[in-house]
Amino acid sequence: MKNLLETSDVRKTYSVGKIQVEALRGVNLRIREGELVAIMGPSGCGKSTLMHILGAMTKPTSGKVFIGGQDIAGMNDSQLTGTRREKIGFVFQKFNLLPTLTARGNIDVARYIHGNRANGNDQHLADILHLLMIEDKMGRKPSELSGGEQQRVAIARAVANKPAILLADEPTGSLDTKNSEIVLNMFRELNRRFKQTIILVTHNPELVAITDRLIEMRDGVIVTDNDPVSWDNESELAQPSV
Amino acid sequence: MIIAGLKARPVRTSVSILAVALEVTLILVVVGLTSGISSETGKRTEGVGADILLQPPNSSLFLALSNTTMPVTLGDKLRELPGVKVVSPVQTLVNSSAGLEIIYGIDPETFNALGNGFIWHKGGLFKNADDVVVDDIYARAKNVTVGDKVELVGHTFKIAGIVEHGKGARLFISLPAAQSMTGNTGKASLFFIKINDPAQVQTVIGEVKKLLEGYGVIALKEYTALMMSNSMPALDAFISTVVFVALCIGVLVIFLSMYTTITERTREIGILRSLGASKQFIVTLIFQESAAVCLVGVVLGIGASFLIAKAVTMMFPTLIVLITPDWIGKATVFAVLSGVIGSLYPSLKAAKQDPVEALAYE
Repeated sequence: MKNLLETSDVRKTYSVGKIQVEALRGVNLRIREGELVAIMGPSGCGKSTLMHILGAMTKPTSGKVFIGGQDIAGMNDSQLTGTRREKIGFVFQKFNLLPTLTARGNIDVARYIHGNRANGNDQHLADILHLLMIEDKMGRKPSELSGGEQQRVAIARAVANKPAILLADEPTGSLDTKNSEIVLNMFRELNRRFKQTIILVTHNPELVAITDRLIEMRDGVIVTDNDPVSWDNESELAQPSV
Repeated sequence: MIIAGLKARPVRTSVSILAVALEVTLILVVVGLTSGISSETGKRTEGVGADILLQPPNSSLFLALSNTTMPVTLGDKLRELPGVKVVSPVQTLVNSSAGLEIIYGIDPETFNALGNGFIWHKGGLFKNADDVVVDDIYARAKNVTVGDKVELVGHTFKIAGIVEHGKGARLFISLPAAQSMTGNTGKASLFFIKINDPAQVQTVIGEVKKLLEGYGVIALKEYTALMMSNSMPALDAFISTVVFVALCIGVLVIFLSMYTTITERTREIGILRSLGASKQFIVTLIFQESAAVCLVGVVLGIGASFLIAKAVTMMFPTLIVLITPDWIGKATVFAVLSGVIGSLYPSLKAAKQDPVEALAYE
């Protein structure tokens, strides 16, 4: 399986007033195609920061980040945006749907941004909507949907353009138990049926049960990673695999 | 997405549209009023039937708005010039008690000889010094008829007759009465000159200029064209000021509207950026929303301008609001320009927002 994501000694430092906060203190990571990975850790361990870097929303302060074989560390805003548009799909804890658009409109705007004009004959999208059980919800605005339905629309929006990687930041954080289970099962199905590579960032241990791999973080570093494939040597990190 | 965004904030969108409409209406009505008045004045002056207008040096194009005069006896010298058929002296007065009304003090015999004479609706020419002849539009506007009294320049006049409009002024008194009221006995503000062959107008103008160096001599056709052209220096500055003020209103309202919009939609912008929308996409989105507001405002403003023009004419028949396609086009351009300028800073600010920070915005 080819590597979709690789990081090498990634560090991220923020300025909070006069204080420098090290959110990431040397993260080395490899995510392969088709994996369903959970990144866990307590609040403040740096997992959201890592997700933003993996999703090309921001660049590391130092280190290398290869997304689809391209190092984003040296990219400008336009290139980062392009990488995000072409390769990444996001799902957020608070759904982040556009409130003035219907469910269909939210999905269409993502496709429009991607350059993939709305196509009534898109079988992939139809399959996704069927899997997520939201076909009959397309005409409703977010305010007319339940939390679980909104999150499923957000998932549909994230995968409508077939991104290489789907990043989900606390996707069940705003849902009740029942809807959390539904959403988690959706992620599992996306991974199993559509071979979607998914990274779930969470502090919810129940998510771990559906994933193939668990990465635990603490204080800005990875402390455990039950990656079934070990790191053989450092030269693999120096060279991107794709 | 643009329509949805505008509909989501109906009050703000409506206020912005109204501001743009106000901008357009202000331009069209004010310019239309000034153009209408000057154009109509030009047409009425042409309707006198003369070929040449002679004024003393340093006179205003707006007849009667200067106090300079010439001796009436100049008319005798003018009549001796080759090609001259009729010379008619006129002493002008301005009645400012109810707006700005120009009164012609005329010598009826020579004045009628300039053209086809007055077309009478009622009554007849003045017989006494306190008689006045009015045109039909004045009579309708003031709701007066033959025999009624009117106050003009501090004097009470009796309406002797009502004539068809289009003969220079709306009010006519005898030349001696006008001279007496202005203290210009034996003087005239201007001469209307009729020539034998209209094709020779420039030749005759040349003769007049030779005789009276420094005097204002202009062909009536040229005068009318000038009054209808919107190119008068005095009006230009006024119109430019009105347009500038209107533009400022539009820019400021659009700026405020778009600035508050992008502040409220910080999170939405973050969502779009997380989906891969470029900075250019965000800028274009804001501009498109602004353009939509401007276009609706323009349509509303044009409609309102025509309604106001109609209302003005109904309430004040002596006023004309001239709304031309040329100025409708200009007002549209100004409105869109104000939208572009007003939304420039907000759109650039929106595009520069960091996606991570924007998503975290509450």
